[in-house]
Amino acid sequence: MKLKEVDRTAMQAWSPTQNHPIYLATGTSAQQLDATFSTSASLEIFELDLSDPSLDMKSCATFSSSHRYHKLIWGPHKMDPKGNVSGVLIAGGENGNIILYDPSKIIAGDKEVVIAQNDKHTGPVRALDVNIFQTNLVASGANESEIYIWDLNNFATPMTPGAKTQPPEDISCIAWNRQVQHILASASPSGRATVWDLRKNEPIIKVSDHSNRMHCSGLAWHPDVATQMVLASEDDRLPVVQMWDLRFASSPLRVLENHARGILAIAWSMADPELLLSCGKDAKILCSNPNTGEVLYELPTNTQWCFDIQWCPRNPAVLSAASFDGRISVYSIMGGSADGLRQKQADKLSSSFGNLDPFGTGQPLPPLQIPQQTAQHNIVLPLKKPPKWIRRPVGASFSFGGKLVTFENVKIQSQQGAEQQQQQHHVFISQVVTEKEFLSRSDQLQQVVQSQGFVSYCQKKIDASQTEFEKHVWSFLKVNFEDDSRGKYLELLGYRKEDLGKKIALALNKVDGPEVCIKEGKQESEFLPSAGGTFNISISGDIDGLITQALLTGNFESAVDLCLHDNRMADAIILAIAGGQELLAQTQKKYFAKSQSKITRLITAVVMKNWKEIVESCDLKNWREALAAVLTYAKPDEFSALCDLLGTRLESEGDSLLQTQACLCYICAGNVEKLVACWTKAQDGSNPLSLQDLIEKVVILRKAVQLTQAMDTNTVGVLLAEKMSQYANLLAAQGSIAAALAFLPENTNQPNIVQLRDRLCRAQGQPVPGQESPKIPYERQQLPKGRPGPMAGHTQMPRVPAQQYYPHGENPPPPGFIMHGNVNPNTATAQLPTSPGHMHTQVPPYPQPQRPQNGWNDPPALNRVPKKKKMPENFMPPVPITSPIMNPLGDPQSQMLPQQPSAPVPLSSQASFPQPHLAGGQTFHGIQQPLGQPGMPSSFSKPNIEGAPGAPIGNTIQHVQSLPTEKITKKPIPDEHLILKTTFEDLIQRCLSSATDPQTKRKLDDASKRLEFLYDKLREQTLSPTIINGLHSIARSIESRNYSEGLTIHTHIVSTSNFSETSAFMPVLKVVLTQANKLGV
Amino acid sequence: MIHDAQMDYYGTRLATCSSDRSVKIFDVRNGGQILIADLRGHEGPVWQVAWAHPMYGNILASCSYDRKVIIWKEENGTWEKTHEHTGHDSSVNSVCWAPHDYGLILACGSSDGAISLLTYTGEGQWEVKKINNAHTIGCNAVSWAPAVVPGSLIDQPSGQKPNYIKKFASGGCDNLIKLWKEEEDGQWKEEQKLEAHSDWVRDVAWAPSIGLPTSTIASCSQDGRVFIWTCDDTSGNTWSPKLLHKFNDVVWHVSWSITANILAVSGGDNKVTLWKESVDGQWVCISDVNKGQGSVSASVTEGQQNEQ
Repeated sequence: MKLKEVDRTAMQAWSPTQNHPIYLATGTSAQQLDATFSTSASLEIFELDLSDPSLDMKSCATFSSSHRYHKLIWGPHKMDPKGNVSGVLIAGGENGNIILYDPSKIIAGDKEVVIAQNDKHTGPVRALDVNIFQTNLVASGANESEIYIWDLNNFATPMTPGAKTQPPEDISCIAWNRQVQHILASASPSGRATVWDLRKNEPIIKVSDHSNRMHCSGLAWHPDVATQMVLASEDDRLPVVQMWDLRFASSPLRVLENHARGILAIAWSMADPELLLSCGKDAKILCSNPNTGEVLYELPTNTQWCFDIQWCPRNPAVLSAASFDGRISVYSIMGGSADGLRQKQADKLSSSFGNLDPFGTGQPLPPLQIPQQTAQHNIVLPLKKPPKWIRRPVGASFSFGGKLVTFENVKIQSQQGAEQQQQQHHVFISQVVTEKEFLSRSDQLQQVVQSQGFVSYCQKKIDASQTEFEKHVWSFLKVNFEDDSRGKYLELLGYRKEDLGKKIALALNKVDGPEVCIKEGKQESEFLPSAGGTFNISISGDIDGLITQALLTGNFESAVDLCLHDNRMADAIILAIAGGQELLAQTQKKYFAKSQSKITRLITAVVMKNWKEIVESCDLKNWREALAAVLTYAKPDEFSALCDLLGTRLESEGDSLLQTQACLCYICAGNVEKLVACWTKAQDGSNPLSLQDLIEKVVILRKAVQLTQAMDTNTVGVLLAEKMSQYANLLAAQGSIAAALAFLPENTNQPNIVQLRDRLCRAQGQPVPGQESPKIPYERQQLPKGRPGPMAGHTQMPRVPAQQYYPHGENPPPPGFIMHGNVNPNTATAQLPTSPGHMHTQVPPYPQPQRPQNGWNDPPALNRVPKKKKMPENFMPPVPITSPIMNPLGDPQSQMLPQQPSAPVPLSSQASFPQPHLAGGQTFHGIQQPLGQPGMPSSFSKPNIEGAPGAPIGNTIQHVQSLPTEKITKKPIPDEHLILKTTFEDLIQRCLSSATDPQTKRKLDDASKRLEFLYDKLREQTLSPTIINGLHSIARSIESRNYSEGLTIHTHIVSTSNFSETSAFMPVLKVVLTQANKLGV
Repeated sequence: MIHDAQMDYYGTRLATCSSDRSVKIFDVRNGGQILIADLRGHEGPVWQVAWAHPMYGNILASCSYDRKVIIWKEENGTWEKTHEHTGHDSSVNSVCWAPHDYGLILACGSSDGAISLLTYTGEGQWEVKKINNAHTIGCNAVSWAPAVVPGSLIDQPSGQKPNYIKKFASGGCDNLIKLWKEEEDGQWKEEQKLEAHSDWVRDVAWAPSIGLPTSTIASCSQDGRVFIWTCDDTSGNTWSPKLLHKFNDVVWHVSWSITANILAVSGGDNKVTLWKESVDGQWVCISDVNKGQGSVSASVTEGQQNEQ
């Protein structure tokens, strides 16, 4: 496609590769006269501006020259790396002269643009070339076999490459080798080419086919292969391009006979050695592959001959051709439509004919309406073969789960040279892990959630805390898992009961003096009645008298009023007590209204139990005191709300320090959502580690809330859900897909979370054939096939089973597949089940698919009451889905279901997260957890930095599945402890039968399952005697229905035993006891 | 010679395309590698493949030197051609699906300088819009901006379809990156020209949205430079480039991680490097990806194909 054109009859030279923007220099041609027969000459520089769609080239500078040119080249000599100085323009003139111009000066419009000039040559200088290795070296050729080598740094005295060839002849072409810097070739119209070795200073080989018809018009070295070159002939009788290899110089390696008449110029692309341009007297410009002889492209030209043709060094798709009709055209070989050209022609026409729409009808004149057909002609096709520079050899793209897909095309060059290259075609999938600390902390958190070792975790965090505040937060969190949490909160706030006692004692001792006074006063008062002897009831008119009268008439109210009025507070209160509750309350109120002491309001609140007042109106600097008061006095049902309220006040305060303290209040309140909001405000959440900071706290707090407040915490607020999904996204991006899934909140219909869950599930590669209605978070849209058919509508079927049944373990990898690097072949074969049928028998049957259970916010459970699946509200009717179907529920347990024998085993998910619960069941127990302790699956402790995600885990699974079920049996519970099991189970049954609301039932079900942990420990006999004894005491108190005693014993056990030893079952036991107490069974 | 390899939305399937005119789909779950489909239909080297969002089914687009864009679809477990777009006059170098929120829209950039936009209008029909002369002598890459609703999300009246502003970036042989925006009348208009490269722009990649108001684009070029362009203002008109690195050779491809914090840069020296922005805003190379070692977990190998 033609890009630009300039109406000049000129030689042309592109600016060197380094130069940006791209310039084209033209120098008036010495051989041709243009239509005006003008003899003036000029050197012009144009800029190639491809962002301008028009065909015009922008002229940057014109220099009127006294010379006309036979050859023009542009060398990069002395160009600085930034391309600021524009090299050297070297021109071959008519009279043996070579002129060096400074293009930057021409562009600047300078008068003095000639750097140097030398007319040592004889006759016109037709051949010029710059050495690409040493850009200061220029070779030139003229008549009489003259060849000179010029050093641009020392232009006065040229060198010769050796003795002149005989007989003397014109040198029409000269070219430096592209691979070896001291090799030069020259050619003459006589058809001979000579190759010179400048180190030896002599010709080393002469190339000729002895036909006498090769009139060399072009010579070019192979860009890549040092020993190959092409020669073009302008003789109409032999219009060929010969490809020579100097190693076999007796005859041409290949002859390209694509032109009908003599060839005038050739140009070999430096960017792609398979592209050779040639133009000839048949008015064709061809692009052929000199290595095969195939014509790849014919440029759409007019019927004029071209005498010069050049590739643009910087833009490999661009070339320029100078034609005898006085035009230089710039083409792209990439094809495209020639809109610009048409436009220019239209413009020209309109400028010649004036307004083509003289009547203003909006209709152009008829001739130009036709081009509909010409439009077709104007579409220019690109090269037959794609040029090298658009063939992308390398690439790396990220995909979900932090995977990086990379490919490269490494050429293994064999000794045969460029034509025989082997290429390897590999695509690599790597796991990119960048946040190691983040992952390891996330791991720790999961382990803690599983092992329930919250206290030690919090303690660790406290120890590692960098800031006081951080330490506080973790201390507060830790308290949640301890007994007497409120007391401990108080301690944290600086109110230790013992300390306070001491302080008061101290204070009392100090004020010894006043105490004595009080004693004295007492003595006096004791003395007074005895001194009076008789009891005088005065009914005088003073206050005393009035009070007396009121009392005598039983009018307590008035008496109290009188006392108050007289500021006899103690009297008033004492009277009010006698007057009954109502009066007392009124009196208290009145008292407080009158009293002005500093601590009155506190006393008010304590007496009136009005904590809201304190929390609402205290000075926020005293938030600690307010919180302490709430901790001490507030009733359980209002406690959370009060903490919340205080937190909200702190948060809305401008002081950022106080804002952060609000977090502590929220922790006391157990308000996860507000904690998240407050924390987010204070921290920069975009950093993975700060998000980790937050999530750690949130997870622990939720656990705490679950334990202490025994409430259903499955609901997740909007903000928390967002943070959790951010967190899951981060985990996924690091390749921890199973972990991401575990942290993702369930029971939420928020679209982004549902989508992420779906993506994570499927990313794990879990097809669940036969299981209906996977949660697809989108409406599936149908894209019918191109050809309509009866099935075109909703015809998605489960995926071809062949792939799923693919028995990896038994087949060697298909030929051509190379297991790479560290991928252990053993793991590769072990990672899939040996046969589908096998699995049926070995996987213990589960009653039915279960509700998603993902761990972090759920109590570990062995089994669940089947629950109706929750559908998203916008759920579409189940459409059977093609292909690799996700596990719809995200439930790693259900992934073990026997319904999917064919599934390539859900590796990472299973082996990793929920396993302990799973293993707590009947079947797997003995294998994986011989000690009955929730063990840490290996996959979690180390991030998937190496190895296929899940691959090493595959082994475990294989083992699990290949062990026959019969062997897996549990030890019996020792007889003496069997009573514990029967008692507890009996109690749960009783509770269940009298419980009414489903939530309680669910809790009890859970408890029943979680007590399995206890039974396991009993079987293994791993519990310490104190705990065993304690449990037996609890059992006895259950027998006697004294649940509160049981609870006391429970508290005692928990406070005296190792938390990690009892954490798996003691909280559950507490729940059961509490329920039993409540239900009174 | 492989020219592109892309995982699907879930990372369970890999599509590759090659000089041998084929498009291949592999199942790579759990480190396996099973050839699912070998799609034939192109008559030239296939440059790029792109997976559509799974809500539209299993759909793959491929573009080739043969001037065609082919859209493939899996039906009943077999992959078939569902549409062929022949509207370009030269090599189609890049295909990219729009964010799924817009529907099925494919942008295609071609060496003929044009960019075409194919929109699925239902019943097997595709509507074509073409931007002619987008990049003189060739468009090398197209990349959609993430779906962002103008203004805050909360302001959006519920139930109403959000009024997205559709944008994409393109890079070409005119050394420019251009940003295109769909006008209200459905026409595409050049919104911005980003100039910094001194040679062909080989690839552009608009970073996924991570909820921040900043837009980010990575670009790489024949000139060896990789730029990170950012735009903070809401009008989207002020873009400032930051040089990530100047390589010694052409840089072919840039790709953002899903969380938009890591950029993978693939260069002509067959090297892949990963870059991450440090706290002080500088881009640092965090690793060279050495294939076949360490982090590599699986490899899919195409046979030794004859490219002739």
